[in-house]
Amino acid sequence: MFPVYLTYCTKNPVGCIAVFITLLPLILIIYRKAYIDPSFKLLLLYLIFKLIIDVIMFHTAAMHQNNLLYFNIAIPFYYSFLSGMFYFKFSSITFKRFLIASMIGFLIFTVWDILKSNSQLHDLHNHRAVLFAKTVEGVLIIALVLLFFYDIIKSLQIPNLLTFPFFWVCSGLLLYYSSFIFIAPVFHYTATWKNSFDLGIANTIPTLFEILCALFFSIGIYHFSTADYAKQ
Amino acid sequence: MQNSEELKWALLVASLAMLTMAFCMISFVMYYQKRRFEEEKKINDIEKNYNRLLLDTALNSEETERRRIAQDLHDDIGTMLSLTKLSLNQLIKMAGNSRNEKEDQIMRKSQSLVEETILHVRRITRDLVPTTLERFGLLEAIEEFIHKLAEDKNLTISFHAGMEEFPRQAQKLELTLYRIMQELVNNAIKHANCTRIEITLEIREELIGLRVTDNGIGFDPEKMKESSMAGLGLLGIESRLAILNGTVLYEKPEKGGASAFAQIPVMPVADVKLEPLHPFRRERVNV
Ligand SMILES: Nc1ncnc2c1ncn2[C@@H]1O[C@H](COP(=O)(O)OP(=O)(O)O)[C@@H](O)[C@H]1O
Ligand SMILES: [Mg+2]
Repeated sequence: MFPVYLTYCTKNPVGCIAVFITLLPLILIIYRKAYIDPSFKLLLLYLIFKLIIDVIMFHTAAMHQNNLLYFNIAIPFYYSFLSGMFYFKFSSITFKRFLIASMIGFLIFTVWDILKSNSQLHDLHNHRAVLFAKTVEGVLIIALVLLFFYDIIKSLQIPNLLTFPFFWVCSGLLLYYSSFIFIAPVFHYTATWKNSFDLGIANTIPTLFEILCALFFSIGIYHFSTADYAKQ
Repeated sequence: MQNSEELKWALLVASLAMLTMAFCMISFVMYYQKRRFEEEKKINDIEKNYNRLLLDTALNSEETERRRIAQDLHDDIGTMLSLTKLSLNQLIKMAGNSRNEKEDQIMRKSQSLVEETILHVRRITRDLVPTTLERFGLLEAIEEFIHKLAEDKNLTISFHAGMEEFPRQAQKLELTLYRIMQELVNNAIKHANCTRIEITLEIREELIGLRVTDNGIGFDPEKMKESSMAGLGLLGIESRLAILNGTVLYEKPEKGGASAFAQIPVMPVADVKLEPLHPFRRERVNV
């Protein structure tokens, strides 16, 4: 079993780092007790969920099995966790209602997308990545981040953004989803068994930014202070 | 194969463009936020300075007004009283021996009344304008002030200065400290029911510290500020200090009583231009 993982790791080192770097912000959140902030509690859940999915995908990939089913299923969950973080950052009731509606709507949309992309659902060996859902997820998250940035500028309550944890989290998300937004739909066509078309560096960019995103999360969480949170 | 190569490039370029945009977005937010904050701070500073200026002007005009009243008292009423005394003396002399006991008594009474009034006027003028402060500085002025109060046998007031020679400070600063000391000592006498008052004055690291401690009933400054009890005195101390970047701290010593500690950054007299001693001095009007 172990040599199989090792071979996979040497073949795809960046991907492996991206899987296990998630541990860094995860441990930091617990260590800095950042989970007392509901937004960071959701971030913690997101990271745990992401780690589980990534490890399962890592295992199946090493075993040369199709793991795109997990990739597809995780999409609405990622969106729910991440957009949930913004639920606590805005006070507007209309916005919160809209956010809940978008989570449900996006879940339905993803299910539809999975069904549409896979006419034969029971054929797991030839399961394909969704065409729209991942991109839509990216667009929605980026929109939320920009909305939050707008709110920061408007309210003018944070003296130094560089020590404001959630700013780092948002920047990380913005970079990660920006790098992924154009590549995601291409996965639908390229990530198949009989495809000979290799995306090359374009495939590695989102993975690199996934790592960067995890590092940004870590920096943000590092700046988290329970005393400051209590003061708010 | 050629097609796929091109597609790869197109994807790469699109992704990089998107990333550049994201980077710009983040930098913009950071930059804009910082600038807005600096602007806000500048406006705040201007507002604070303006308020301080207003306060300064108000207090200055108060001092000027006191000075004017003192001047008028001294020059007009003082002179007239002296003249009255002179006339009275002449009248007594002129009346000579040809008067009865009753008249004599009335004359002596008016004479002593006039003399007493002269003393009162002098005392009031001196209280209004601390001339000793201007001429000899803080140490002398405080000593004179407590000397005047020392007549009361039930109250001992002691004064320690940190050093023998106390360098002269800007007039505004000396006056501020003097007025604060006055208010604190008056408060102790008025409210504290105390038998001992200690005043200390010291310079430490570019800060002048004034401490007034009494052994009276003490009070809670926090509660005083919240309740409507807060008098003009304590508020006045704070506004005077605000002008000169000073601070005041009220303590409750364990052995009872109250203690106030005011601190002001030093302002050596050479650094400020001397203000005229008697601005708005009125020209004497000859009738
Ligand atoms: N040294 C002191 N000991 C006890 N109480 C004091 C003392 N100084 C001030 N206080 C209390 O604080 C209140 C406010 O004082 P102040 O602002 O000087 O107003 P005022 O002297 O006009 O009453 C006083 O009414 C008094 O109750
Ligand atoms: Mg008072």
